[in-house]
Amino acid sequence: MAIQRVTQNMLSDRSVGALQNGLSRLAKLQEQLSTGRVLNRPSDSPTDTTSAMRIRSSIIDTRQFGRNANDGNGWLSQIDSALTNANSQVLRARDLALQGANEGGMGPAAREALAAEIDQIRGGLIDTANTNYLGRPVFGGVTAGAAAYDAAGVYIGTPGAVNRTISEGSSIRVDVDGQAAFGPTGSSVFDHLDALATALRAGDQAGISASIGALDAVRDRITTTQTEVGSRQIRVEAAIQAAQDNELRLSTSLSNVENADLPKVIVDLRMQETAYQASLAATARVMQPSLLDFLR
Amino acid sequence: MSTFSGLNTALSALRYNRVAMDVASNNIANVGTDGYSRRRINGEAVGAPAQPAMWSRYVGAGDGVRVSSIDRMADALLDVRARREHGSQAYLDIRQAVLQRVESGIGEPGDAGVAAAIADFRSAWHDLANNPGSDAARSAVLGRAATLADAIRIQARNIETESGDQRFRVQADVAEVNTLASDLAATNKSIAVATLNGTDAGILLDKRDQLAMRLSELTGATATGRADGGFDVSINGVPLVVGNTAGTLEIASGITPTGGSDGSPITFTITDGSGTTVVPGGMTGDLGGVTDLLNTTLPAYTAGLDAIAEQLADEINAQHQAGFDAAGNPGQPLFSYTPGSAASSIAVALTAPGELAASGIPGGGLDASNATALATATGVEASYQRLINSFGAEVASVSRLAANQQVLTSQVDGSREQLSGVNLDEETVSMLAAQRAYEAAARVMTTLDSVFDTLINRTGLTR
Repeated sequence: MAIQRVTQNMLSDRSVGALQNGLSRLAKLQEQLSTGRVLNRPSDSPTDTTSAMRIRSSIIDTRQFGRNANDGNGWLSQIDSALTNANSQVLRARDLALQGANEGGMGPAAREALAAEIDQIRGGLIDTANTNYLGRPVFGGVTAGAAAYDAAGVYIGTPGAVNRTISEGSSIRVDVDGQAAFGPTGSSVFDHLDALATALRAGDQAGISASIGALDAVRDRITTTQTEVGSRQIRVEAAIQAAQDNELRLSTSLSNVENADLPKVIVDLRMQETAYQASLAATARVMQPSLLDFLR
Repeated sequence: MSTFSGLNTALSALRYNRVAMDVASNNIANVGTDGYSRRRINGEAVGAPAQPAMWSRYVGAGDGVRVSSIDRMADALLDVRARREHGSQAYLDIRQAVLQRVESGIGEPGDAGVAAAIADFRSAWHDLANNPGSDAARSAVLGRAATLADAIRIQARNIETESGDQRFRVQADVAEVNTLASDLAATNKSIAVATLNGTDAGILLDKRDQLAMRLSELTGATATGRADGGFDVSINGVPLVVGNTAGTLEIASGITPTGGSDGSPITFTITDGSGTTVVPGGMTGDLGGVTDLLNTTLPAYTAGLDAIAEQLADEINAQHQAGFDAAGNPGQPLFSYTPGSAASSIAVALTAPGELAASGIPGGGLDASNATALATATGVEASYQRLINSFGAEVASVSRLAANQQVLTSQVDGSREQLSGVNLDEETVSMLAAQRAYEAAARVMTTLDSVFDTLINRTGLTR
């Protein structure tokens, strides 16, 4: 714009305008510096705002998936140790059955002693099958009760899956159905042990060897279940690791979108400060002289 | 040529230069006055009359000087331009101010906004899915649901409060427009009178320009000059001031006398002697800006928020009703809202933690499949992000437009100031020039006096 005629008002208006502009740029940088963020409101950058909102929501989700997976890991660890325990107890019962199957030199008293230990093992196994995690029986499905099996070894759980969502759209089962691990009602490990104890007391050799076969099948079943639980646990542990990695990655992305690049902001601030001081100095020099200073 | 005509010539110079000094002094006095246009004195030489008398001729060498006019340095075209730019500026400024206020109430992106509340709500469902028997986890879901409903209601209320404030602003603006219109009509009348009797109307014209400028800032009104010096003002083609009569701008619909909303868009009418005319939409200026905000921008955001509240409530309720609560009964709706104003009325309908339908199967077991389903039941987050994105883009665009308009407005103001502004150096120079000219004219008088002294008192004396 060609300026033909300059007036004092024009100078002062322009000076004030320039000072205001400088100040508002300073204020913007000061906001970025004091909040540490370049994205303070949606209009600062609508696109980045959407990204920031998405990332923030993903961070919360990822954190939650990590929590879910950790909880699932607790369940699976508990089940794993319960199954290990159950396996060794069944093994002990099988040993006792083999002793009982040894016909020679087994008096009724000795067999009664074996049967009594089998009863003890059975009681211990029922306790194992009622293992709790945070107050819930891990073999009881979705039951609201405190136990999966009653004292007689009858399944009283509610069949149903306990799932944990471990990542977007993928969930994993963290419980084991008691009947899958310990056999269906009627031919469960408890029924077999019961039959074994009865056969021992009666000296029923055929019954004892049938029970040994049944116990082998039970051990196979428990081992298979344990293998499956182990593979699930590997998935859950991988999910925990992935959640941690994701959270770190997402936090970095969020910081890239939202946070101020401090060195850049500080350099900008210094530049704006210099510019502001220059315009103050220019204003002070331009506003002062007047023809009246030079007239007598 | 008479003996004393020289004295008269000098006298005219004394008079003229005194007026010149008056003009300079008046300019200096008004250097900071808003709306003052500088005056410039125009002199003209008094000389031969075109035809002094029949068969006569003029033998003089000029009879001095007189003031031909005192010009008011203003350019009508530039003023029209300035009024238009100021109208647009006021329109954008008010939009920018209001939208930025609303935007700062949204609180996105952040830890306290609706988006964070939605994510926390989802997270709480997952926690409940992990622990369906826990009352603590159930209470947490209810708490997060209440936080989410509150966050949506707070946004809706912020917009409602802002709309209420702006409705009062419309009423205040309309009152000011009417005062200005009647002032302008009175000024028009004074200008017409002054023009007729030949008085200097400069101050009245300054006032007229100021009133017209303020009217343009308020309504984007256009002013056209009248033959008698006044201004006719019309808003979007509907006359408001014609000569010395002013019409009345009234709010025809949209705002009740107590500042409430009557549900319909805001419209205006102008009533004058010939009846009542509806002002077409698309005003600029402060009123135009506020009207657009109240008619379009803010209701659009509220509608977006309503849609989000409805979507959230409907999707969550549908999934919630598909499940069963702790006692094994079918789930009840989790959120309640009033259709049509969902955002401002959404609330949590359940109070007992046990009523949350976490289970997917009846019978009161600890199944948590419905809690897991509820965690992902709503796609409201994406809708909300779209709403915020488009609102942010609108605010950013208005801010940019306002900044651009500011450059244009100050450029036009600069051009006006170049023409109409007072330069102290210039005035000092004109004052000095007038002072010197006055001194010189006085010296001419002294010289003539001494000449006459010689002629009258010394002629014929021989000593």
